[in-house]
Amino acid sequence: MHRIVVDAMGGDHAPDEIVQGAAEASLQLASAEIILVGDSAAVGRVLPRLRHDGARVRVHHAPTRVEMDEKPAEALAAKPDASIAVAVDLVARGEGDALVSAGNTGASVLACARRWPMLDGIRRAALAAVYPTELRRGEKDDPFSLILDVGATIDATAEDLVGFAVMGSAYAKLVSGNRRPRVALLSNGTEAGKGPPEVVAAHAALVATTELNFIGNIEGLDIPRGVADVVVTTGFVGNVVLKMLEGVSETVVRLARYAHKERLAWRLGLVALSSAIDQLKAITDWQQYGGAPLLGFRYPFIKAHGRSNARAVTNAIKVAHKALAGNLAANIARTMGELDERASRRAQGVTT
Amino acid sequence: MMRALLRRVTPLVRVGEKIGLLDHIPPGLPEGAPRPRHTFRWDLDKTYLRTEFDSIVDLAKSAIETAADKQAYPGATALLRALRQDGNRICIVSGSPTQMRQVLAAKLALDGVEYDEFVLKNNLKNILRGRFRSLRAQIPYKLPAMLRSRIGAPAEHETLFGDDAEADAIIYCLYADLLAQRVSTDVLERVLVASRAYEDDAARILELARTVPKEDAVTRMFIHLDRRSPPLGYRRFGPRLVPVFNYFQAALVLYQDKVLSARQVIFVALEMLDSGQYELGHLATSVQDIIRRGRVTREVALQLSEDASEAAKSGALSGRTDLPPFEQIAQSFRQRVRELGVIDAPPPTDEPLDYVRLVDEEHEHRRTRRKHGMS
Repeated sequence: MHRIVVDAMGGDHAPDEIVQGAAEASLQLASAEIILVGDSAAVGRVLPRLRHDGARVRVHHAPTRVEMDEKPAEALAAKPDASIAVAVDLVARGEGDALVSAGNTGASVLACARRWPMLDGIRRAALAAVYPTELRRGEKDDPFSLILDVGATIDATAEDLVGFAVMGSAYAKLVSGNRRPRVALLSNGTEAGKGPPEVVAAHAALVATTELNFIGNIEGLDIPRGVADVVVTTGFVGNVVLKMLEGVSETVVRLARYAHKERLAWRLGLVALSSAIDQLKAITDWQQYGGAPLLGFRYPFIKAHGRSNARAVTNAIKVAHKALAGNLAANIARTMGELDERASRRAQGVTT
Repeated sequence: MMRALLRRVTPLVRVGEKIGLLDHIPPGLPEGAPRPRHTFRWDLDKTYLRTEFDSIVDLAKSAIETAADKQAYPGATALLRALRQDGNRICIVSGSPTQMRQVLAAKLALDGVEYDEFVLKNNLKNILRGRFRSLRAQIPYKLPAMLRSRIGAPAEHETLFGDDAEADAIIYCLYADLLAQRVSTDVLERVLVASRAYEDDAARILELARTVPKEDAVTRMFIHLDRRSPPLGYRRFGPRLVPVFNYFQAALVLYQDKVLSARQVIFVALEMLDSGQYELGHLATSVQDIIRRGRVTREVALQLSEDASEAAKSGALSGRTDLPPFEQIAQSFRQRVRELGVIDAPPPTDEPLDYVRLVDEEHEHRRTRRKHGMS
């Protein structure tokens, strides 16, 4: 049985949508136990109104919560009994196997970093994000690519970037059903020598020591095209890229709304395109993806979008379940071990 | 009387019952037998047996299943066996057709479940008489069956087990309120009209309701949430009706009611663990759930932990090398109760039920389900 801890109070629509998503997950995942961490009175008011399995949803009381706009370090210091802190602690104590939260990202990452051990061979964690692309991938025809890191580690070394590539590849294999995910480094040119020193060094290491499907460097414009299934970058760059992708997407929607209001001809044009727009919406529906992982820790953490509704939460729980069922953490650790071994053999070969 | 005589003298009546041409009338208590203390009435499909009839394929599959193929819900068999002790009566009223008696009886025998009455629905008779409304009718079938059974053997207390697939909650509450004289003849008449009972059936039910020994005998009702219906929907039926996700929860409530001992609760739990569908964690969570819903108190749960510990010491868990030591189990259960924090469950309402409205709502609900391709 996989025990998935859910921060019931995290997110714009908590606890109602979170509890509803967890309730639905309890019906869909027979081999999982969902542990809702949060104000038990609030959770207890919502849960009995929903279809769920009472033997598979348990409540763990946590009296406070970290608000979405609170500063992570200050909030965690002031509220050690906040739902996210208690949830992270439950997993750390072995009372849960994975975590799902739609709450304050900074607080979630910080809480995990303070309490959870890293995977063997991984020095720093990476927060991944999914984004829709032109090309689809994997046995499920997945329209989403993975980009990591988007903010957990601001200044990554070459070694860290290699670790991110291994983790992203393992995750894409498992969640997208993509047997050989195409992994790329984000740079300012496709040539191996382009980019800052850590990217150049990571490129060399990925070519020399890993068996990943490493396709080299890609540029920013290749991201939405879907040239790579896993895009590896530092947290600083990844965060800028992610925000820009979100900004562009919102601007396009706003422009469409503006067009709809302004002229009849434009309005008619939009109506004519409505089915295509609907299809596009379905492709870019992040709610069906559920959430993105924080990789590198011994336990899986799926960070759902702050605006997550019940469906997104259910899917995030299912992703966490998949990560546990597919032994994601063990797979990453094993690959890192092999990589270390290969690197030390190479080093020995050079010296002897 | 005449039928009873006929039954003794001719095997043809039995054949008639078997093929569904004649109704099976439960024999009731033998002359001079003491009044039973407690009767437990059970539905079968989706209450005791895991039956799927959400589609035609499911129905066909269920009809051709052998006794060995049929699956009881984990814990249900152990609970039924525990309830049968001390001379209590087990009466089964099922909506399955009479033609399934043999296979269902064989299943109960395989499970070692003894019973006093076993009533099935005579749908062949309904078809032959052109009474197609009766094929799906719930109240006009189950209510008279229960009333007739009580007339034959009126126990001091009754506990009823049903499920959330059909109208069991309404029927059981109506039955309980009829016995307690909280439902007038006028209301019952209107309920029977709303449930589309045929006129002669309605007249018979009214007569049974008039003659049944009146007493506030129904102390507890359980609705097995097979469809995982929201438990809050059952709050309106009052504190006597408890929706349960599994039979460990039912056993906990019965322990609270002082109907079951801690040892018997352990046996229900062990059967659930042996089924492979439940782990200790699920049972602990089930305890937490029923406390959170305000149906069992924390004090009772803690008392059970103590009593169960005594039972474990006296051998209730002997030979169970697959389980951790009992104190460890009890500790994890207590921990689960502590994790719960503040409980804010609104108590179930205890107001009189508007049965006519409930029946209308149930029909509407069924129509909606049919429209969406569900049974």
